[in-house]
Amino acid sequence: MRLLIVSTLPEEDPEARQVIGTLRAKAEECRVIMAREIRPCSGCNACWLVTPGICSIRDGYEEILKAYLQYDATVFVCGTALGFAEYRMKNVIDRMLPLVTMLLTVKDGQMRHVMRYKKQLRWGLVYTGEADETYMNRWMERVMVNAGGVCLGAFSASRVQEVPV
Amino acid sequence: MKLTVISGAARARSKSNTALILENFCRGYEAEGNQTQTFYLSDRNQWEAARAAFDASDNLLIALPLYVENLPGLLLEFLGTLTPKRTPGAKLAFLVQGGFPEASQLRCCEEYLETLPARLGCIYGGTLIKGNMFFLRLLSDKQQEELRMFETMGKRFAQLGRFDKDEVTLFAAPEYMPETALKVFRGPGKFFQRLVMNAISRKMGGRGNLEARPYKDGE
Ligand SMILES: Cc1cc2nc3c(=O)[nH]c(=O)nc-3n(C[C@H](O)[C@H](O)[C@H](O)COP(=O)(O)O)c2cc1C
Repeated sequence: MRLLIVSTLPEEDPEARQVIGTLRAKAEECRVIMAREIRPCSGCNACWLVTPGICSIRDGYEEILKAYLQYDATVFVCGTALGFAEYRMKNVIDRMLPLVTMLLTVKDGQMRHVMRYKKQLRWGLVYTGEADETYMNRWMERVMVNAGGVCLGAFSASRVQEVPV
Repeated sequence: MKLTVISGAARARSKSNTALILENFCRGYEAEGNQTQTFYLSDRNQWEAARAAFDASDNLLIALPLYVENLPGLLLEFLGTLTPKRTPGAKLAFLVQGGFPEASQLRCCEEYLETLPARLGCIYGGTLIKGNMFFLRLLSDKQQEELRMFETMGKRFAQLGRFDKDEVTLFAAPEYMPETALKVFRGPGKFFQRLVMNAISRKMGGRGNLEARPYKDGE
């Protein structure tokens, strides 16, 4: 498995090192992208309607977008705040919009976006700190329904070994 | 009664659907002599004043667009800068609106919001949810008349002092689109939406195919 890790934890954080090290050991090939400075989505809709597939914010996120498409699976690694993924990681996830088109379709009785690329995404999440794991899984499942992909699950850092990669 | 409102939308006030909804909601809330004060987090110059208002107020509403099934990153960043209240009694309610038409699409976010006030030292004042808001800014003035429904909800919120979950479910209906509507959508709707989206795209200065794949790896 060729694995992409996108982390918003500080590089020197011991827990981050441990989580990333464990994931790395599970994969045949692994690339780690540190994404602490990704800006929030501005909601401009350019990636849907003006320059389809291309985000108008130039902050290095394009590299991550391309990498999603190059690797077999992506695991996001982040801290938590207020019982949810910290804002830095939510910025990363919000910026996924260029991967979907503006067009809508129906899937399992709900409206969905038509995906831009044929590739089926496989995404999971590992978090440090406090959050309700059942809820984090529910959210991640929903993210992947929207991204037309497969959810690998959400895991607290102590269970990183269980991430199916 | 005074209500402190914080909009967590990333789009500037002049372009934000949340802002348009809030204008109507607040008009309703103010109808019986109440007051509102609104802060827009899209403008970082307002963050400090918004924080001070959060600290000083015990009647709060946070409004937001649904961003990938939850709160926008920008709003989470702001919330992380707040100090939880130490004196109990402040009430915090939410207004969430999204692009997809079904209320069911907003339930995952609602579940998180139910837990959030306690983390900020507040009591939960309920959540108003509503889908199908993507096109709001693109509607004609006449079509925007529909926004009056938010004025009604503003009045109701002032009367009750919170959002009632059953009332909200009626307001946000349908929970799922009826099969007949889905059928239309799978059939003629498929072509119709392409026409509409292409027209909007041209109007925004867009060029090229809406389904373009600028990065080759995903093909
Ligand atoms: C990054 C991003 C993510 C979004 N995710 C969702 C979503 O998960 N579900 C949904 O129904 N609408 C979603 N939307 C649509 C917005 O919630 C909707 O267009 C809203 O009316 C925008 O409000 P605003 O103009 O105040 O930003 C998303 C929009 C953006 C820009």
